[in-house]
Amino acid sequence: MSRLPCIPIALTVLLLTACGTARRGEPLIGERRPPDAKLALGEQVFDRNCSQCHPGGESGLGPALNNKPLPRFAMKIQIRNGVGAMPRFSSNEITDEQISAVTAYLVWLRRQH
Amino acid sequence: MLRPKHVVRSLGLAVVLASLQACFAMRSSHGGGQSGFTPPRTLDPKAVALPPGYRIDVVASGLNLPTGVAFDEQGRAYVTEAGYSYGELWTTPRLVRVEPDGRLTQVAAGADPPWNGVAFYRGDFYVAAGGERNGGKIIRIGSSGTITTVVDSLPSVGDHHTNGPAIGPDGLVYFGQGTATNAGVVGLDNFDFGWPKRHPEFHDIPCRDVTLSGQNHTTSNPVSGAGEATTGAYVAFGTATHAGQVIRGQIPCNGAILRVQPTGGAPELVAWGLRNPFGLAFAPDGQLYVTENSFDVRGSRPVFGTGDVLYRVQAGAWYGWPDYHAGHALSDKEWFKPRGKPAPGFVLATHPGTPPPPAAVLGVHSSSNGLDFARNPAFGHVGDAFIAQFGDMAPNVGKVLSPVGFKVVRVNVHTGVIEDFAVNRGKTNGPASRLGTGGLERPVAVRFDPTGTSLYVVDFGVLTMGSSPQPRTGTGVLWRITRASDGAP
Repeated sequence: MSRLPCIPIALTVLLLTACGTARRGEPLIGERRPPDAKLALGEQVFDRNCSQCHPGGESGLGPALNNKPLPRFAMKIQIRNGVGAMPRFSSNEITDEQISAVTAYLVWLRRQH
Repeated sequence: MLRPKHVVRSLGLAVVLASLQACFAMRSSHGGGQSGFTPPRTLDPKAVALPPGYRIDVVASGLNLPTGVAFDEQGRAYVTEAGYSYGELWTTPRLVRVEPDGRLTQVAAGADPPWNGVAFYRGDFYVAAGGERNGGKIIRIGSSGTITTVVDSLPSVGDHHTNGPAIGPDGLVYFGQGTATNAGVVGLDNFDFGWPKRHPEFHDIPCRDVTLSGQNHTTSNPVSGAGEATTGAYVAFGTATHAGQVIRGQIPCNGAILRVQPTGGAPELVAWGLRNPFGLAFAPDGQLYVTENSFDVRGSRPVFGTGDVLYRVQAGAWYGWPDYHAGHALSDKEWFKPRGKPAPGFVLATHPGTPPPPAAVLGVHSSSNGLDFARNPAFGHVGDAFIAQFGDMAPNVGKVLSPVGFKVVRVNVHTGVIEDFAVNRGKTNGPASRLGTGGLERPVAVRFDPTGTSLYVVDFGVLTMGSSPQPRTGTGVLWRITRASDGAP
């Protein structure tokens, strides 16, 4: 596959998935306790650093995350470098281990509906 | 190992997503109050989603700007009606009893609105009388409706008022005192609130001596109607400051938690360096917690991207306002600089301490307000904090891409994990008036009844946002959440 067609494919995937609701709260989907320690750590990292702009992964000050198929490595790039209005998070603020946990948590959260 | 075509595909996807998410500046605000409202407000408990095993019911409706709830020895509910709302709406502040059939019986009507909350202690009600016109008070209301002043002359005539109160394990009355301004400097945003015309000399008062960096801001001058005015921090509008200038601390002060004997006397300092410490509650272990309404993107010193905070209160600690948010220095240009506006920087030359870490960080502009702790296993989640989120007042406080708040959340105060507890159903979040349902509007306070089996939610009612806030009288509601016997949280 050439590089060029990736863009429209990605756009199509984005538009289709972004049409789905980003809501993942317990009142709406039932209990969603992270099933292992890594995801539990990811939940804590997310709620302490990310949730203020993306409450529960929904849109708030910033865009929704739960309905977008962002791959984990892209999340890491975004966390470390920031993008648009989102600031960068250094390793002093979120360690590599915590980034691994929070990106895993976001993928898991996306699938909870 | 990823094959090259997978790398290219993923990279393309990432680029597209990144570019789309970079469009914050190009998107308009979609706050929860940015919608119309046609009375009457309809109510439908089925429009509110709760975790399995819980239910919600309407206890009373037609309340006028309700802000707090407390229970007497018999377990009867009493509600404070504020008597004032942003938008310069003035009515009569009241304490009303909610009868079993939902009727309201007036216990007391008074002055010094907004009445921002109520606590019951040994036969009396203690009310935080916000005092937008003449200064804040803590008042005591007897069962016959007699009003006695416990403490007065609190510096409340600005943006934020006297809040709380909560009764401590020591039997003292704890209350919050909000700041005059958003970020320490009186500016044009305060004139939009209306108070500088009533109190042109008013400004923030620190609790301890502080030394200024000399940061000043020049704006147009609505006082003279012509020319410009230069204003520094902790001084009246139109007063410049200089580096090294010392502002003397005094008590009472702004941005603080104070306490006083129920019989009255001079207030004592508990903690300071807060902005608008709105909700106060003691956990089952006796630890005091406070909800802090964080900075807005407004005025001479706008601050971007600061979530509301739940703090564990440490005696005597300084929590960082006006130069920190949740432990982060506002001198970090990338984190707190609004687009197209200067970074907030520091207004203090030196800082009184290292701000304690937050117990939890809540949504930006969520207006996380009243809170209480679960105590009864029959309800579940013992030790968790339940917080009422009034919801954003965008765009006046800053832009949001979607409504923030308008619900009740549950917080594990040890891990900082936040979970929705009572939210409106729908594809997106928001107040009922925006969603077109009969659900929650603007939860402002929560409190468990004395048995700990029912969580009461005070819903302020409809407040839409135009050029200024548009509160709608008579749309407040008292809700009750209970757990069915087969629930298993």
